Amino acid sequence: MKEGIAIAAPAARIDIRGIACPLTWVRTRIALERLRPGDLLEVLLREGEPLENVPRTAAEEGHRVVALDRLPGAAGDWRLRLERGAEGEGSPWP
Amino acid sequence: MALTDAEVARYARQLILPGLGEAGQERLRAARVRVVGGGPATGPAIAYLAEAGIGTLLIDDPDPVGAGDGVGFLYHSTDIGRPRGVAAAEAVRAATGLVQAELPRPGARPTGVLVSAGSPEVSRAVADEARLLGLPHVVAEVDGQGGAVTVVPPGAPCYACAVRPGIGADPTPAGAATVGALAALELVLLLAGAASEPGGRRIEVFRGAPLTRASVRQPGCACGASKASPP
Repeated sequence: MKEGIAIAAPAARIDIRGIACPLTWVRTRIALERLRPGDLLEVLLREGEPLENVPRTAAEEGHRVVALDRLPGAAGDWRLRLERGAEGEGSPWP
Repeated sequence: MALTDAEVARYARQLILPGLGEAGQERLRAARVRVVGGGPATGPAIAYLAEAGIGTLLIDDPDPVGAGDGVGFLYHSTDIGRPRGVAAAEAVRAATGLVQAELPRPGARPTGVLVSAGSPEVSRAVADEARLLGLPHVVAEVDGQGGAVTVVPPGAPCYACAVRPGIGADPTPAGAATVGALAALELVLLLAGAASEPGGRRIEVFRGAPLTRASVRQPGCACGASKASPP
């Protein structure tokens, strides 16, 4: 999760900086649900509750946190990249 | 069609339930549920189905609203004497613009049925009609402070196979709320494709403790011989 590592372009991007819990995770979950397993989702989020909860919940539900970086020039804003997990046994996915 | 921003905000907490998600919520929006019967669980069940985002409610209940119909769940004291179906449809429309609520009409083909009739005979007849149409259905029976909910997915053993004698106590508002909400929840899970068990079952709630039994087809029952036709 260091800057400078080449990461494939995300299949989708969402900006959840203007919304609060639980919609931060709801929006992220819906965006992941619309992707295929292995696709990348880029999420712009604020520090505090979103930064603490969204990557943790994504990992708990079987997705992979690929990168988490501060956005340059925007205090308190972060960029999260998630890889959509596979469906299957034990997965909470429909 | 994807959910709108208003729908995502309205159903946010339901959307993150395991197994539901956006696809399940879209299935609920496309669902048309017929609510049948004059039983005391009807009001709480309709309130729950509307809050869960069932797209269309067809409310089949011509009996008048009575003083014991759970004022505070759906009906107002000013509704006493009006047909329950009319009063309930108005209450749903006033509460949310995301759900259509109407009286049954010819051609409005339901995709699921919730039965909460005042007598076992009526419940049985409506459940059998739903079974023959291949529709998922649940039957709610209020019994004292609790009651029972029979869940019948298409092809499962029928209500008549699953039903068991209860206590036979007079319905209470607490029993109506418990059984009505539980029946609505079970139907929502079936229609969303999020039910944890594919088979039929009967959930009995007495003295606050739920007991679930998988439904078993009774020998010789007609439900084992006939082929339900999907809607």
